[in-house]
Amino acid sequence: MATSLMQMPKNSLIRGTWGLKPSTPNAPAGCSHVNGYKVDNWRQNLRVIYQCFVWSGTAETRRRKAKSCICHMCGAHLNRLHSCLYCVFFGCFTKKHIHEHAKNKRHNLAIDLLYGGIYCFVCQDYIYDKDMEQIAKEEQRKAWKLVSVHSTGIGEKYTTWEPTKRELELFRHNPKRRKITTNCTIGLRGLINLGNTCFMNCIVQALTHTPLLRDFFLSDRHKCEMQSNSCLVCEMSQLFQEFYSGHRSPHIPFRLLHLVWTHARHLAGYEQQDAHEFLIAALDVLHRHCKGDTINDNGKKTNNPNHCNCIIDQIFTGGLQSDVTCQVCHGVSTTIDPFWDISLDLPGSPTPFWPLSPGGDGSTVNGENHLSGSTTLTDCLRRFTRPEHLGSNAKIKCGGCHSYQESTKQLTMKKLPIVACFHLKRFEHSAKLRRKITTYVSFPLELDMTPFMASSKESRVNGQYQQSVDVLNNDNKYSLFAVVNHQGTLESGHYTSFIRQHKDQWFKCDDAIITKASIKDVLDSEGYLLFYHKQFLEYE
Amino acid sequence: MNKEARLKATINQKLTETGERERLKELLRAKLTECGWKDQMKAQCKEVIKEKGLEHVTVEDLVVEITPKGRALVPDSVKKELLQRIRAFLTQHAS
Repeated sequence: MATSLMQMPKNSLIRGTWGLKPSTPNAPAGCSHVNGYKVDNWRQNLRVIYQCFVWSGTAETRRRKAKSCICHMCGAHLNRLHSCLYCVFFGCFTKKHIHEHAKNKRHNLAIDLLYGGIYCFVCQDYIYDKDMEQIAKEEQRKAWKLVSVHSTGIGEKYTTWEPTKRELELFRHNPKRRKITTNCTIGLRGLINLGNTCFMNCIVQALTHTPLLRDFFLSDRHKCEMQSNSCLVCEMSQLFQEFYSGHRSPHIPFRLLHLVWTHARHLAGYEQQDAHEFLIAALDVLHRHCKGDTINDNGKKTNNPNHCNCIIDQIFTGGLQSDVTCQVCHGVSTTIDPFWDISLDLPGSPTPFWPLSPGGDGSTVNGENHLSGSTTLTDCLRRFTRPEHLGSNAKIKCGGCHSYQESTKQLTMKKLPIVACFHLKRFEHSAKLRRKITTYVSFPLELDMTPFMASSKESRVNGQYQQSVDVLNNDNKYSLFAVVNHQGTLESGHYTSFIRQHKDQWFKCDDAIITKASIKDVLDSEGYLLFYHKQFLEYE
Repeated sequence: MNKEARLKATINQKLTETGERERLKELLRAKLTECGWKDQMKAQCKEVIKEKGLEHVTVEDLVVEITPKGRALVPDSVKKELLQRIRAFLTQHAS
């Protein structure tokens, strides 16, 4: 199976196995001078050296290292200290003390106490013997495990990627390399409209430009367990291959459309559908297919949907907290529900809109433009997370009072997804009429979700948000990367999307036509679906 | 060894004994990756390799060329943070 080679990291340049003997991949990478060392119980001896002097994990080895690891000639602990592999001698590399020792005693191997590299004085360079490298890696991992228990926030030690034998083979058989420059258009491709399928095309554009999703698929991380050919995740994988193939002609997504019709019957047919509905349906099918479970004839899922850790959940699932406060005893009942998107009401909708933040006081929570009176995304979010009196017609059974009482309800974000999708509810389908709300809502390039978090709730007084001191928390900062727009009316309309290619390069995707767009074009657009990506990713 | 060198050695001993040295190294590694210093250094290394030729270049060539540039390019904020950590450690372990 062909793998996407342009994603290979650039550090595969210098490794012993790579450069020295390309014609015989199985030859040992080191030098022949190590053979003199590799006798008797050399493996155990080497391990001891690593444990005691290079990566000391236990308190005892650390104490010993602290005391003994100094140059035998000048007493310094700096200067790239090396240890002789044949005897107990420590010497500076920079001051050539270890070189002197090597020459005098004819001990031609030494180990760097800082990084564990093996130096051969005959070859006059560091060598990479496969057996010794293996021991080094194991000892490093062992020691790290012991040290890291004492510190929070540092998990598995980061090791650079090293190609396996199979991967090296693939490199040799596929010599073509693709260079990613700041201006390259790789990943951009038009999509043919198959008959009112622009609702699908714009979502596909957004998904293929979601960085984490792209990385997942381009690294071939999906292992399909479905028996039939109808796995949507496999099709997505294929789609990414098409988008990053470098072909400039538009792609015809007929297989994707067919799969969508198969798995989301309510979207079948050639009528115009809602892009937001398609997004949710697509995420749902992908989520189900990711788990690799086979859905039996009854349509029952075999796995618990609440404990999924598939890529869709990892990227898109957030937690919405709902707090219902009893107005009598002030007891709070909290529930947390998963969400893939946040649907926001707009002014002009039947339900009254929260008073707008006054345009005149110059308050710019997220750097949005307050053209006097225009609504911002932040306004909508503020409204979404405001406490709401449920009224005397909607009394809640209070667990504290043991009776029905009036209450207030408030929604806040408990857990933010890596990709936050905001859905501006522009399509009104009430009993009376169906119409589109075209009110302009301004949205920012960078968004800070801190004010809308459950943890920020306490800092709100009288519904007015007070700037939290927690400005240093980078975890809630987002960047816009895709916008889906709808032009026209409910009866006849057209979807297009803007997607971000590199840091500040935006492109407009109108089915098969891709054009360069300015940031102003993007921010001035009406906005229907807004896709934001977390700026900083933390390890779990 | 003069007084300053002895002080340095003592501090280093304490850092090594407690394992703090390793933790600081990891912290530094993370900070230097975050701010792009690591990528800058990689690029510099590639230049040296191109110059000297893949078959002939040694680690020593790289060390000699890269070390001064590397030292100069460490951001002040990173230096400050590490110094702060070390100071805090020393205050904690003052004897």
